Amino acid sequence: MTGTTTKRGQQWRAARVAVALAAVAWLASTPADAKLGSCTDPVVFGTTISETGLFSTLTGNWRKMTEIFADEINKAGGIKLSSCGDKGVPVKFVVYDDQSVPATAVQLYERMASVDQVDFFVGPDWSSIGGPVPPVAERHGIPIVMGNVATPSLYQRGYKWVWGTPAPAVPRWSERYFDMLAHVDPKPKTIMFLTHDNPVMKAITAVWSKKAAAQGIKVVGEEMFSADLKDFTALIAKVRAAKPDIVYISSFDNPSVPLVQQLRQFKVRAMDVHHAMLTGALKKQVGKDLEGMTGELTWFPSVKGPYADLYERVMDRTGITMFDSIWTLARLNSYLVMIQAIEKAGAVDREKVQKALYKGTFKSPAGDIVFDEHGFPDTGAFTIQMQNDKVEVVWPPDVATAKPIWPSPTWQ
Amino acid sequence: MKRVSLMTLAAIAVAALALLPLSGAPYWTTFVFSVLIAYVLAQSWDWVAGEMGYINLGHYVFYGIGAYAFSIALTSAAIGSVTVSMVIAVVVVGIAAVLLGLPLFRLRGDYFAFATLALLPLAEVLTNNMSWLTGGADGIVLPVDHVLTVAFWLALALAVLSFITTLAINRARFGFALRGIRNDEEVAEVMGLPLLPTKIKALLLSSLFAGLAGAIQAWQMSYIDAVTVFGLNVALVPIAMALLGGSGLRWGPFVGVVLLAGIQQWLLVNITMLQATVYGAIILLIGRYMPGGMLRAGLLQNIAWLAPLTREHGAFVADRTAGQAAGGAAVAMPLDRIAIEPDAPPLLVCKDVVKAFGGNRALAGVSFSVGPGEILGLVGQNGSGKTTLFNCISRVHALTAGEIRLGGRDLAGLRRDEMAGLGVGRTYQIPRPFGDLTVAENVALSVMLGPRREAPERALAEARSFLAYADLDHRRDVRADTLSLQEKKLLEFARALAVRPRLLLVDEIASGLTPVEVRRFVERIRAVRDDYGITVIWVEHIASALNAAADRIVVLEQGQLIADGPPAAVFSDRRVLASYLGNTAEAMQ
Amino acid sequence: MSVDVVLQVVVGGVLLGGLYALVAFGLSLIYGVVRILNFAHGTILAVVGVMASVMFASWQLSPVLIALILVPGVFVIGALFYRGLLRPLERRSPLEATIGTVLVTVGALLILSDVTAVLAGPMQRNILLRAPVIEVGDIIISITQLAILAAIVVLTLAIHVILKTTWFGLAVRAVTQEPVAAELCGARSLGIKTLTFGVGSATVAMAAVLYVLTFPVDPYMGFGLTVKAFTIIVVGGIGNLPGALIVGVLLGVAEGLVGLFWGPEWSPAISVVLLLLILVAFPAGFRWRRA
Repeated sequence: MTGTTTKRGQQWRAARVAVALAAVAWLASTPADAKLGSCTDPVVFGTTISETGLFSTLTGNWRKMTEIFADEINKAGGIKLSSCGDKGVPVKFVVYDDQSVPATAVQLYERMASVDQVDFFVGPDWSSIGGPVPPVAERHGIPIVMGNVATPSLYQRGYKWVWGTPAPAVPRWSERYFDMLAHVDPKPKTIMFLTHDNPVMKAITAVWSKKAAAQGIKVVGEEMFSADLKDFTALIAKVRAAKPDIVYISSFDNPSVPLVQQLRQFKVRAMDVHHAMLTGALKKQVGKDLEGMTGELTWFPSVKGPYADLYERVMDRTGITMFDSIWTLARLNSYLVMIQAIEKAGAVDREKVQKALYKGTFKSPAGDIVFDEHGFPDTGAFTIQMQNDKVEVVWPPDVATAKPIWPSPTWQ
Repeated sequence: MKRVSLMTLAAIAVAALALLPLSGAPYWTTFVFSVLIAYVLAQSWDWVAGEMGYINLGHYVFYGIGAYAFSIALTSAAIGSVTVSMVIAVVVVGIAAVLLGLPLFRLRGDYFAFATLALLPLAEVLTNNMSWLTGGADGIVLPVDHVLTVAFWLALALAVLSFITTLAINRARFGFALRGIRNDEEVAEVMGLPLLPTKIKALLLSSLFAGLAGAIQAWQMSYIDAVTVFGLNVALVPIAMALLGGSGLRWGPFVGVVLLAGIQQWLLVNITMLQATVYGAIILLIGRYMPGGMLRAGLLQNIAWLAPLTREHGAFVADRTAGQAAGGAAVAMPLDRIAIEPDAPPLLVCKDVVKAFGGNRALAGVSFSVGPGEILGLVGQNGSGKTTLFNCISRVHALTAGEIRLGGRDLAGLRRDEMAGLGVGRTYQIPRPFGDLTVAENVALSVMLGPRREAPERALAEARSFLAYADLDHRRDVRADTLSLQEKKLLEFARALAVRPRLLLVDEIASGLTPVEVRRFVERIRAVRDDYGITVIWVEHIASALNAAADRIVVLEQGQLIADGPPAAVFSDRRVLASYLGNTAEAMQ
Repeated sequence: MSVDVVLQVVVGGVLLGGLYALVAFGLSLIYGVVRILNFAHGTILAVVGVMASVMFASWQLSPVLIALILVPGVFVIGALFYRGLLRPLERRSPLEATIGTVLVTVGALLILSDVTAVLAGPMQRNILLRAPVIEVGDIIISITQLAILAAIVVLTLAIHVILKTTWFGLAVRAVTQEPVAAELCGARSLGIKTLTFGVGSATVAMAAVLYVLTFPVDPYMGFGLTVKAFTIIVVGGIGNLPGALIVGVLLGVAEGLVGLFWGPEWSPAISVVLLLLILVAFPAGFRWRRA
């Protein structure tokens, strides 16, 4: 076992193994042509859901909901394509768990593009993931309609294939609430913003504190808090010192649970305490403390609107309610917009769908979704108020289910 | 032979991998890309942890700092170039590593781990709150450049470089220094290793790789935020990978990364529920049944074709020195004979040396001197201050008062690691071998870290002469912690000589030995002086041994010197007899 | 800023800090006796908190009853966890033992969070009790908070008395301070360690029930708390429960005051900065001398 021949022999063997490995890898990875344009194969949507990890607290039951959504669409005849003689083509989802980790999400979208060969992307959420994923869609030329990615700057990167359906959109978030504030009596004179340290929430505060000032409501304080904060005593002490007419909580529902409870405990007085994300998750955790508070809801079954039946059926069968899981609307909207875009394009053709999406207008239960040139929507929201433990839409008056109670009696 | 084929295979695999991004397999490319990044993180972490023994749970902080520095530079109007931004990232990470290392290396063991772990949440809070620099919770949006191919090649190059660096570290004096620190940093320091600079160097090296990995991944992802680069949930994964494979093993981090990343991806794609549970269970079971990492498990080590992967680093170095015979005649040490001038000034002068621990004065004004080429016996009861005196001479303790001069030079203000350079070698009363290194490596470390800073291969060859001198050469390839107590004492002796001392401090090396062995030691100590001109201070309880070996005896009692003179005179001094020798006085007859 | 406001913030800080201290107690006991860094420690709080919340929501059990059911359960599980998965590692070399415990506890952390999220849902939850409030001047405190404070005090005293007066306590203190000597003196280490792991886990379960009465929990929240508890035991002295209580409370108050005088977004940084400062000033950990 000495001498160079053996050594060389071993090197050769090693080389052959390596070449074989490389060849296998190459073969395994060579993409077959996507079966775009077929009228019999289902249209395949690829999506990831943050089912585990950091963001999973916001996505309860979405995998089931996604499957039921596909089932409902297919029961109603599937996606109608003019290129197939208006025959319905079924829709199918490929769903993975991105574990709330951006690098994992990127791998999975690459996988869906090249291995699973999905036709379109829908739905990823949160800016952590909405940041790195769109370039994947761009590189493959696959249209993507994202869900809850609400940071406007993430859309302004010169994309061609990227849209999103965050609901409501930051520039229209509290539009109706501030319209209401202009009409109530007594008129509020001061407002204080309590902001959860998160890009979307900070953007909301930035937009609406300006709007408040323009409307003649003086901003008497802006405080920020991190999602980890549990003891809000210090922050509330500042609120009590500033005595604002309106306390505007710009926060996701979960981080502000102790805040709402402690505001009540410390008997903060105000005309109204407004929560930018007044949800069922919040209600479950703070209960009666929510009574009289106002907030935003992008859509509510009683509002009806196009596709409202579909959404209601999907949510009923899944066992979730819009109020419980406020993020669900943007998720479903991303699916719905993609289906409409394909129907508009009339074919399972990425180029045509891309053209249909560009600056397009799409129906949703919460009103029309109109994309700007960056792919950002203009979805607004209704102003709601908790009255007798029930959610009532109080503004605008034409769809209101109840009159606003002003000033809110629970904060007196 | 095996090594050649494994390395060749590795080289070919790397070449094949380099083609991957061109093969039109973006999924595999991104997957392998993230594996490469994880490997760089795990491997660079292991230089500080596996090699140096410092568990840096906050290693990911450097990844995050690199990612942020790169992104901030790339998006700033003034810079904008990728290359320049990478350089900036490296510089910033380097500065951060040095600034963090200085305070952190005051800590050891679990405390170091605690403190580094705490860096992650701190970094996250800072990043979120320093919005003017980092964009706060908005994160940083980079240009969309579709750089996967280039980023992949960079990551591949960095991963290969990490592996080559690992090999280089293992082979180099630096790597031995790290392993010395891992085992017993005070001993390494007294051998002549400057501790803090070495530790900072290791942290710096490891942080630069992590920082570059962060910069490359940020570039590829084109968006970063604080949660992604500092989140506790992602930060510990590369560490778990390295531990899983086998921390401190050449292939450990690699195997751990490939395996765990592969399993995770497979679970993600194939299982829709409880993947995290399965993943957690795998980690848990390996921790329970293969706690040294998979590659250290007996199960795998017995599989022939896996054996090359499972070897410890030392085994590779030993391979290359195995053929070499001990240099020269078996019992000659490669030491120059120090000329002894008959009327030279004393080599060591202790003047009114005081060392107090709190209120307890272990040394209360001790004065004596040792001439060049003298063998001085130092006796006294337990607690009389002998070992404290040794510790003062080797600068393990700073003096409370008084002065110690060596060759006319005041030792005050010198660091421990400078003492070996001045020619002070010492043994420890309770042997402190570098337990997980071989006997030969133990002695070689003395040669490497000592004043001559020999390269490892020469040092290992030289070590054998010292081992032969100490009658330990036959045990050279066993782990030092498997030696018997007597053998450990011999090892102490060989290590102290390998520093090439002018002054040798020998602390109770003969206690517990048989009379024959004691006599051998007496001969050795005398030979050290007679053949090489080394001055010796020997602390020992065995009066007969000192009587035979020493030129002069100094007696300590409760921190004070009570006798100083030739053995015959001292051992017949009534006060000494009363205080110390007692009935053992007969032993000297 | 008026004195009332500061006092109010201090009251809030004491409450939160007391809960931190309870979490730290268990970790401190375990680390002191078993010398294991249990990375899953805070996750126990998260999981037990979720379970308590589910039990409250589905059967409207009283929190006291919930604690009576859960705490002994966690005690048993903690003891079994140690006996089955961690104890065998102590026979290995020190390096392998350390690495093994890290892997086992991290694995346990992942499993606990994931299984809880699958069974109970990943969403955040709490126990919603509506209790009247007491006003003293401008300072307001709810009955729930008072009850929690009282429970923290009682628990601390109970643990303290147990450690001071029982044989178990003596053994725990002995093992914490002089592991080798204690073993020589016959403190049977296996029994003591198993008991300690059980008791340490049980205290965090107790803390969980109290925590979920005022603050929400979710299955993934534990690790941040573990880090905070590490901070407290390092600063307060390992195995030193009064030290942990003082540091925990001080930490809670410091977080509140930083929020008041600087900005709430900086509160989470306090514990970390405190830890780093103390460690750098006292590299061997903080030793509180008893007068």
